Amino acid sequence: MTAPISADPFLLAGRAAAPLPTPAHGALSIHGLSKAFTIGGQERRILDTIDLSVRPGEFVSIVGASGCGKSTLLRLIVGLDADYSGEIRLDGERISGTSLNRGIIFQDHRLFPWMTMEQNIELALLNTDTPKARRKQIVADHIALVNLTGFEQAYPHQLSGGMAQRAAIARALVTEPRLLLLDEPLGALDALTRVHVQNELQRLWMKQRSSMVMVTHDVEEALYLGDRVIVMAANPGRIRRIVEVDLPHPRDRRSPLLHRLKDEILSELTAAPEDSEAPANLVRLPQREERA
Amino acid sequence: MNTLPPQHPLHRRSVRLATGLIAPALALIWWQSQAAQGGAHAAAFASLGSVGGAARELMAHGSLLSDSLATLRRTFTGLGIGAGLGLTLGIATGTWRGLDRLVSPLLDALRQVPMIGWLPLIGLWLGTGDASQLLVIAMSAFFPSLLNAHAGIAQVERRYLDVAGVLRFSTLQRFRHVLLPAAMPLILTGLTQALAFAWIAAIGTEILTGGGSGLGVTMQMGETQQRLDIILVAITITAALGFAINQALLRLRARLLRWQTTAR
Repeated sequence: MTAPISADPFLLAGRAAAPLPTPAHGALSIHGLSKAFTIGGQERRILDTIDLSVRPGEFVSIVGASGCGKSTLLRLIVGLDADYSGEIRLDGERISGTSLNRGIIFQDHRLFPWMTMEQNIELALLNTDTPKARRKQIVADHIALVNLTGFEQAYPHQLSGGMAQRAAIARALVTEPRLLLLDEPLGALDALTRVHVQNELQRLWMKQRSSMVMVTHDVEEALYLGDRVIVMAANPGRIRRIVEVDLPHPRDRRSPLLHRLKDEILSELTAAPEDSEAPANLVRLPQREERA
Repeated sequence: MNTLPPQHPLHRRSVRLATGLIAPALALIWWQSQAAQGGAHAAAFASLGSVGGAARELMAHGSLLSDSLATLRRTFTGLGIGAGLGLTLGIATGTWRGLDRLVSPLLDALRQVPMIGWLPLIGLWLGTGDASQLLVIAMSAFFPSLLNAHAGIAQVERRYLDVAGVLRFSTLQRFRHVLLPAAMPLILTGLTQALAFAWIAAIGTEILTGGGSGLGVTMQMGETQQRLDIILVAITITAALGFAINQALLRLRARLLRWQTTAR
C-alpha cells in the first residue's frame, strides 16, 4: 500500500524538521501523589501514589476509563485543589495554589460570557507584569495565532464551539505558562472540528514550547499529540502503563505505528481489570519508524 | 405609493407601537361610551373632555408638574436608600456565608410582614411626615433588591471562579470581573422589582398620609372634593410615568446585558 501525499503543509514541512529545541523551564515532577474524596461518609481513593515526570517542552497525554481521576490530577497540578498527599513540583519548586506559570484549558471553554473574545484574552494578562501598552498587541498576536482575527468583538455565545475553544487556547497561552494542562479540551467538539483543532494544537505546541499535559478520552488524539501516553486505571486511579510514541512532530495520522499503538492501548483499556498490585510498567516501543 | 417594505426595522417598530396602542384605544372608546350614557353613569365615568379640562386646569396651576416631581423625588430617594442597602447587603450575604447565616433568618422573617403591617408602627415612631414616607418606600425597595442580589452572587458558577483562581485574581478583581457581571442579570431584575414597589409605595403613602404634594396627594384630594376628573388625571399620569420609567430600565437592562443570548 502506498501512502498518499499529505495535504497538510505542516506535515510536508515537518519531514526534514530538526529535533525541537528543549526549553529551559517546564519540568513537572510528581511523587507519591494520592488523593481521596469522602463520599457519603466513606473515604474513596481517587488517585493512588502517582509518580510522573514531564520533561521541559514535552507533550504528555493521559488516557483512561472515566473515574480514573485524570481530571482530578489536573486540578491538583494547576493548584485549584490543595487537599492531597505526596508532592508536585514544577522546575523543582513545590506548587502551592495557582500560578501564572501553570495554565489550564477545560473541556468547556469557560470564556466569560459578559466579555468579548478580545476582553477575555486580555483579562488573562491582568496580573502579569506585561506593560499595559504592549497588551493589545500581544492579545492581537494570540488571536491571530488561533486564527480568530476579525472576531475580537464577538461575545462567546456568538462563536461556534471550535472558535470558542480556540479562544480559550489563546487565553491560556497568552500568559506563556511553563506548563499547560488540557482537560479534555476537544471533548465537546464535533469530529471534524476536533481534527482541525488537534492540528492547531500541535502547531501551537511546536511554536510555544510549553510543557503540556492533556487528558483525553480519545486514544487516537492522545497518540497523535503526545510524546508519551499515560494509560491510567481506575478504582483507585493509578498509572497502568506509559507508552512512548517515538515519532517526530508534526505527525502523520496515517502512521502505522500510531495505529498499532492505538489498538494496543484500546485492548488494554477494554481488557478485564488486572491485579491492582501490579506495578506500572514502562513499555518502550520500536525506534522512530521509517516513513515511505 | 411610497411604502416601506414589511421587513424594514422602522416598519416593524411602528407596527409594534401600533399594536400596543390598540388596547388603550379600545378602553378609551368604551369609557367614553359609558360616560355618554349620562345619568348614574355620568357620576362614575367622567367624560374624556372633562378629564382633559381638569388636566389643563392642573397644568395651568402648575401643580401637575410639581406633584409629579414630588412623587418622582420620593420614589427615587426611597429607591436609592432601599435598593442601595438591599444590593449591598445582598451581595455581602451572597459572598460571605457566615454573614448570610447571621442575618438572613431575621430578614426572611421580617419580609413576611406586609408593608401595610408596618404602617401603624412607623406612624407611632415617625408620625406621618416625609421621613415615614421615605422609610416605607425604602423598605419596599429593600427586599427585592436584597433577595435578587443575594441569589445572583450565590449562584455564580464555580467553573468561572476556577478561571479567576487560575488567573490569580485578587478578591477585588474576582468581584469586579466575575461575581458582579455574572450576578448582573438578577441584580437588574431585583432593581426593576424594587422600582415598581417603590413607585407603588410612594403613591400609597401619599394617599394614606396626604400632606404636601404628590400624585397620591392629588388623588386623595380629588376624592375629598369628589372630583372624578382630577383623580383620573392623577391616575393617568401615574400610569404613564411608571410605564416610562420601566421602559427606561428595560433599555438599560438590554444595554448592560447585551452579552446575553436573547430569547427573541
